[in-house]
Amino acid sequence: MLTYSLRRVLYSIPVLLIASFVLFAGVRATFDPTARLAQSRDPQVQIRERERLGLNDPLVVQYGNWLKNAVHGDFGQSATSREDVSKMISRAMGNTLQLIIIGAVVSVFIAIGIGVFSAVRQYSILDYLFTGLSYIGVAMPPFWFGLLAIEFFVVQHRWFLSVGLHTGDSSGFDLDYLKHLVLPVATLCVQIIASWSRYQRASMLDALSADYVRTARAKGVPRWKVVFKHALRNALIPFVTVVALDFGALFGGLIITETIFSIGGMGRLFYNAILVGDVYVVQAWMILVAVIIILFNLCADLIYGILDPRIRLA
Amino acid sequence: MRRKRRGVQLLGALFGVLLIATACSSDNNKNNAAAGSSSAPEVPKGGTLIIGAEQEPDCMDWIGTCSGSSWGYWMAAVQTMPRAFDVVKDSSGNYVYKPSILLKGEPKLETSPKQKVTYEIADDAVWSDGEPITSTDFKYTWDQIANGTDVYDKTGYQDIESVDDSNPKVAVVTFKTNYQDWKGLFTGNYGIFPAHILQGQDRDAAMKDGYKFSGGPWIIDSWTKTDNITLVPNPKYWGPKPNLDKVIFKFQPDTSAEFTAFKSDQVSMIYPQPQLDAVDQINAGLPNTQKVISVDTGNFEALWMNMGKPPFDDEAVRKAVAFAIDRGAIVERLFGGLGVHEPLQFLNARVVKQYADENAFAQYKKDLSQVDKLLTGAGYTKGSDGFYAKNGQKLSILVRTTAGNKRRELTEQILQQQLKDAGIDMQIENAKAGDLFGELAPLGDFNAAIYAQVLTTLGPSTCNLFCSNNASPIGQKGGNNYTRTNIPELDTVLHQMDGELDDAKLMDEGKQAERIKADHVISLPIDPLPNILLWSNKVVGPIDDNGILGPFWNMNLWGVTS
Repeated sequence: MLTYSLRRVLYSIPVLLIASFVLFAGVRATFDPTARLAQSRDPQVQIRERERLGLNDPLVVQYGNWLKNAVHGDFGQSATSREDVSKMISRAMGNTLQLIIIGAVVSVFIAIGIGVFSAVRQYSILDYLFTGLSYIGVAMPPFWFGLLAIEFFVVQHRWFLSVGLHTGDSSGFDLDYLKHLVLPVATLCVQIIASWSRYQRASMLDALSADYVRTARAKGVPRWKVVFKHALRNALIPFVTVVALDFGALFGGLIITETIFSIGGMGRLFYNAILVGDVYVVQAWMILVAVIIILFNLCADLIYGILDPRIRLA
Repeated sequence: MRRKRRGVQLLGALFGVLLIATACSSDNNKNNAAAGSSSAPEVPKGGTLIIGAEQEPDCMDWIGTCSGSSWGYWMAAVQTMPRAFDVVKDSSGNYVYKPSILLKGEPKLETSPKQKVTYEIADDAVWSDGEPITSTDFKYTWDQIANGTDVYDKTGYQDIESVDDSNPKVAVVTFKTNYQDWKGLFTGNYGIFPAHILQGQDRDAAMKDGYKFSGGPWIIDSWTKTDNITLVPNPKYWGPKPNLDKVIFKFQPDTSAEFTAFKSDQVSMIYPQPQLDAVDQINAGLPNTQKVISVDTGNFEALWMNMGKPPFDDEAVRKAVAFAIDRGAIVERLFGGLGVHEPLQFLNARVVKQYADENAFAQYKKDLSQVDKLLTGAGYTKGSDGFYAKNGQKLSILVRTTAGNKRRELTEQILQQQLKDAGIDMQIENAKAGDLFGELAPLGDFNAAIYAQVLTTLGPSTCNLFCSNNASPIGQKGGNNYTRTNIPELDTVLHQMDGELDDAKLMDEGKQAERIKADHVISLPIDPLPNILLWSNKVVGPIDDNGILGPFWNMNLWGVTS
């Protein structure tokens, strides 16, 4: 398993290098980080800024300078704010993690619960209800749900709050923080619970129709044991794969939720950086998200092996 | 006897009633008088004000290229950096420079042999660490801007020859050549920087993530990136101390989120851009809200015509377009709901309207007979498709604006229909702001473009936009004269304005410049982009917009009621 893991990581390095160069070249060719200075009264400001940012050097030289520092952990400074890119990324990551971890944990439990119930009580009224709600959840744009939720829960009833993660300049984990967290997490959860519960239901149905389950039932094993000890464990295998893949993708995909709720997370960071051609931020963001996705894919494979002892990773 | 006693009793009762009536009457008068004199509620002390901010500054090094954010300027620079002049409205409603409390009075201006300005600094003007604000701070500021490499805008500071700081309380600034907007220096985007703190340091590193010094009524308490900027009172401020304990600017880049936060009382004040969704929100009604809609702003939008290539190299075509468009209808559609109905009639911002002929472009109203006369005279004929053509080529103009800006895209659609009715074809090809201002406009790759110009000082000259020496050939970058305007008489007047130190003459020259612009239709003003300020009833004080300093410039005089 260790060899397998190491091999997977090593194969990823050239992929990351190629992707980083393609991204660097693409951003440099598409966006001009000095464009925001074009309307300054001073006609020389763009020329000075190009010199300061080294934009007059050949592309390969610019990329090489970045890579040389990046391998030492220095991802440079933002072209617009001069802040260390590492600092910006870690701050954005912190904000996004708060949403993702809580959202994912809540979603996993609810999705498993709905999936198991729907499979065990297939074709019941509640199964049909959950199926209908799932389709609505998948079809519903997150921004639409988020705005509706804000209008109802914040504007009309003042039950929750919708600006950032704290009121004013406060910080800490308190009731105010929870009131800020509920709606963005709910917005995030709606779609992923809808899709994850469908996966779980499908894989649970597969597991429940397997021969070993029928044998266990015939031998008089209690129903709850059949469902939770035998069928669920096998049904979790494909579910874990889906969760791991989606979890990695969530790190960069919350831009709409973050914008509606004014949370400075990874999605907004990437979007703002791309708009102004802040290539060092974009590079670091891409590498981090790629590493996260690779790691979560690897985790999925490893967990797969743990859940199913028949699988041995060569 | 009984009748007499009853009469006395009646008299006594009457007297008592009269006494009571008199007492009540005097109370009512006092109340009425009191009500009349306290039409502005008393501003309470204490409390926290939370304001929604649409934009977070990139940095707080106001000199560096990472600055240039209007919101950063309004939220932090205006509150903490001392400046030579305030920008206020005079009795005629015009914005003028007024010496701030940093100075003892109006600086002395000498024009011969060279322009020289003498600033006398107030004796009690101090930084937040107690050190006096001195002429060395003026000198340091000038040096950083004029001689630095990482500078957002050197305009004006490069024209300074020297700053004499031999007297700590008197700064003498000598210019190389006459510079008209000298009052905008040590005022506008930068203010004055503390030499005793920053000298010898990397100013950018020391300031970009926020700083703890101040020469204004507020100090930056914290800047939580992506979340908020918090200000607290500067205890050493020698002017009116803030009533509030704290002001928090909460970042909200999304307009609908901004209004939601305002309606749910999570923020008590917002300053939204006049986009269509903001106008709709306001028209839908906002309870317990006060508002100011101001057209005397530093912003103006125009249809910028590229005179460097056909068809706008032909003055007849430019005039024809001016007569084809109903600008009043456009403004009514965009801002009528805010009470703004009149189009802008000169090519400059309304903050400097006293330096312009405010009706220069008023002659250009929709008149299709004029369109026909002008185009026919220029050799165009109307084809069977309803469009004018010349030498087999349809009269077609390519218009660009910033993609995703709904208000400007709507303006384009209205224009397209109006021009079509007049027989002129209009194509739309929008671009991202970065591309439009970084490449397309500088290279002249457009026939016309719709965007706004923003004034950050009260300098009325538009030489940077319209003087021919600021234009480059089509296909080359250089200078801000994207319209490639090249009118010798306009050049003369605008260059004159750049060095004009007599305000009365400057006004005449400004009016003359606008008339020349209108006579040649170098571009077409559309709307004075209004500023919108909304605040909850619980915020009290002299709240109003300021077209240059932003609406928070006198925040130290505000308060919040419970």
